Amino acid sequence: MDSSNDEAVDIIITNVVATFRTRCHLNLRTIALEGINVIYKPEVGKVLMKLRKPRITASIWSSGKIICTGATSEDEAKLGARRLARCLQKLGFKVRFSAFKVVNVLAVCSMPFSIHLVDFTKNNRPIASYEPELHPAATYRIKNIKATVQVFSTGSLTITGPNVQNVATAVEQVYPLLFECRKPLCK
Amino acid sequence: MSSRVCKTCGGGDIDVDQARGSAVCTSCGSVLEDNIIVSEVQFVEGSGGVSSAVGQFVSADGPVKAPLLGSGFHTSVGKESRAQTLQNGKRQIQKLGSQLQLNQHCLDTAFNFFKLAVSKHLTRGRKTEHVIAACLYLVCRTEGTPHMLLDLSDLLQVNVYVLGKTFLLLARELCINAPAIDPCLYIPRFAHMLEFGLKTHEVSMTALRLLQRMKRDWMHTGRRPSGLCGAALLVAARMHKFRRSVKDVISVVKVCHTTLRKRLTEFEDTPTSQLTIDEFMRVDLEQECDPPSYTAGQHKVKMLQLEQELTKKLDEVEGEISCYKDEIENELEKSRPKLRGIYAAYSKEIAPENEEALSSTSEEADGEDMELQAASEHLTQDFLSQVIQEVNERQDKRQGSCNPEVESENKVTHLSTIQETLLNTASLCLQETFHTLENSGMENKVDNPMEPSGELDLEGIDDQEIEKYILNEKEVEVKTGLWMKQNAEYLQEQKEKEERINKEKEQGIYKEKQKKKYRKREQIEASTAEEAIEKMLEKKKISSKINYDVLRDLNTGAGSPSPLSPDPPKGSSAQKRLSRRRRRKTSDTNQDLAANATIMGKRFRHLISTSPKKKTPAQSIQVEPAVTIATHSTEPPDSVPDAGFTPSAALPPAEEDEEEEEEEEVEKECVSALQLVGDYGCEAEEEEVF
Repeated sequence: MDSSNDEAVDIIITNVVATFRTRCHLNLRTIALEGINVIYKPEVGKVLMKLRKPRITASIWSSGKIICTGATSEDEAKLGARRLARCLQKLGFKVRFSAFKVVNVLAVCSMPFSIHLVDFTKNNRPIASYEPELHPAATYRIKNIKATVQVFSTGSLTITGPNVQNVATAVEQVYPLLFECRKPLCK
Repeated sequence: MSSRVCKTCGGGDIDVDQARGSAVCTSCGSVLEDNIIVSEVQFVEGSGGVSSAVGQFVSADGPVKAPLLGSGFHTSVGKESRAQTLQNGKRQIQKLGSQLQLNQHCLDTAFNFFKLAVSKHLTRGRKTEHVIAACLYLVCRTEGTPHMLLDLSDLLQVNVYVLGKTFLLLARELCINAPAIDPCLYIPRFAHMLEFGLKTHEVSMTALRLLQRMKRDWMHTGRRPSGLCGAALLVAARMHKFRRSVKDVISVVKVCHTTLRKRLTEFEDTPTSQLTIDEFMRVDLEQECDPPSYTAGQHKVKMLQLEQELTKKLDEVEGEISCYKDEIENELEKSRPKLRGIYAAYSKEIAPENEEALSSTSEEADGEDMELQAASEHLTQDFLSQVIQEVNERQDKRQGSCNPEVESENKVTHLSTIQETLLNTASLCLQETFHTLENSGMENKVDNPMEPSGELDLEGIDDQEIEKYILNEKEVEVKTGLWMKQNAEYLQEQKEKEERINKEKEQGIYKEKQKKKYRKREQIEASTAEEAIEKMLEKKKISSKINYDVLRDLNTGAGSPSPLSPDPPKGSSAQKRLSRRRRRKTSDTNQDLAANATIMGKRFRHLISTSPKKKTPAQSIQVEPAVTIATHSTEPPDSVPDAGFTPSAALPPAEEDEEEEEEEEVEKECVSALQLVGDYGCEAEEEEVF
């Protein structure tokens, strides 16, 4: 459906979350004291390190597990993660880069029409849920690709999924359903 | 139950006397049945001549509670946990429901939802309060009562979103589609609370009309229904000449006054607001509006477009002005006195100063880089300052023009952003170019391709930049000092904790932090799925409230002494945890049947040979075997094959089935008997129990 449309819908990836392991124990205090742009949270037991080049914030635990957030593409996430590992290597830890996995991808997308949420929810009963008292968007959970799409009445969508491919598939799946319940613009 | 033919004489005439409960043949007089069980209602005359039916009502749900006459003052002794949970839930539902003024039918439905939830284990890990509130709200939604989630959260003093989460989960798991909330449902309720007296109905109708109009104008999607109701009621009240201020409405409707005001302004934007009261009541406009957030978005887009056009014009004008400027400068230079030498010297002095200023912002280490970067930044700064100057000049020229001030401000901000971006991009570009050159040298030396073992692939990583992230020694010291100061409290706490632990260790009292030790589950090795299930069932603990000893005693033929050893006979490896938990080994039942007879004596042997930890039950049970062996020896074989079939049906939920438990116990006996057989080999002595 998307391909047959004249105006292509832009899916903008805003956040990619990835995790990896360094397979060695990290001394958080050393990292905190010898690194610039580092925040140490001893109560929680982690260190936040921010990189500039791919704009990335990483949470580092002493077990060697690291979570990277803030990247805008999967490749960028990987590059950032490697950069981070290199930085830790330079600080003196025997870092090995293993088990890199992109865990979550968040993307936004805008439809050129507004959507009648009540109709949309009625047509897609168990999969879609809309609770105006709690959240202004209708939530559409696609089980097989494990993606969640939040549909706002203005036509903007927020999609979260385990990787970029799934996100694209989710948009394609949802598009025809949204198209049915669209609201034609008068002004 | 009609016995038609008499057995002795063959006569068909049989008299059944209900009072005596007997069936007698009228021809030969032989009594065919005695003590017939009759299902009739009997009446008894009570005090004052009132006749009442004999018997008790028994509830359909839950196990039958034996009526305790006189001696029973504790009502929930010996009840299963499930029944207790349900009873507790019912009580809480009644309590909450009465506060919300829900009728009995709704409460019953809510209780049904609760039962479903409990059976699906949705109450685990959640507060019962929350689950009950969710059940009640679900009923409210399905019945269409004007109750909001906010009301429930008010009563319980719980965050709305927490309740909402539970509610959503419940609706999803129970596959119940709650119909969407219609704000029209709330109108009568709020109207009543606003006290319009006799005219309440009229005001409600007007408010309803307004609401429907709002719906058509797309104001209601994505908004809280209570906010819309509030706005509609306010306008309706004013239309009917009731003075209700925003404050009154807010206190009833429970939204913020900003929200209400916003709704009113949105409504104002619609063409319906232009109609007079009479017109509104009569006429319904055809045209529908866009949702307000959409129009806001459009507005923004328009503003952006305007900005872009203006910047374009700006550029054009700047181009013109720069031409003029060049010409003017040329003229000036010609006319300037030639003190170039001195000025050149001055200009050189200025340049390094600028460089330093610039380099302090960027943290470059290389001299070359610095100079080049500084030069580029200087140039860009120059250009931009010129541009800004020109803009200012233009503004001065056009003071009397119709350019709005906002636009000029926008332009200035726009320019400053341009400046920043230019600087950033310039610095980045330069850095990149230099670092890629250096990198190509670095990479050849340090080349670790990423192997599956986890070596770090350094491609595309410039070490230079990364080294910037690491502080040198002096800086480390400074930072250490700062950090120590900042986190002094935390460090103090840690010290105290350590001291405490050391003291306790010395005293020998020290307890390791009580971590929940999850016993490692043994890996179940099984060749087929069935075997795996059987083994899992063995190990799985089903109910802790059963007194296994008693049960075993009931059933024992062969198995009396064996339950005494709650610990496994030494040497049994497969059943390490032969505790009081039951186990099912259906595959062994057949073997056990055969071995049963020979085992009887051995049990007793075993009792003597090992020292069972629980001796008192042992002694008490010893007396029984003599009596029970004969009668019960036949029972185990019968019940065991049944047990063989039931385990599959009686997986987790069937905790309340006592029959199963008995069968379980029998199986267990057989199992442990087998164990004994395995352990003690063939001590085949038919020792008789005394």
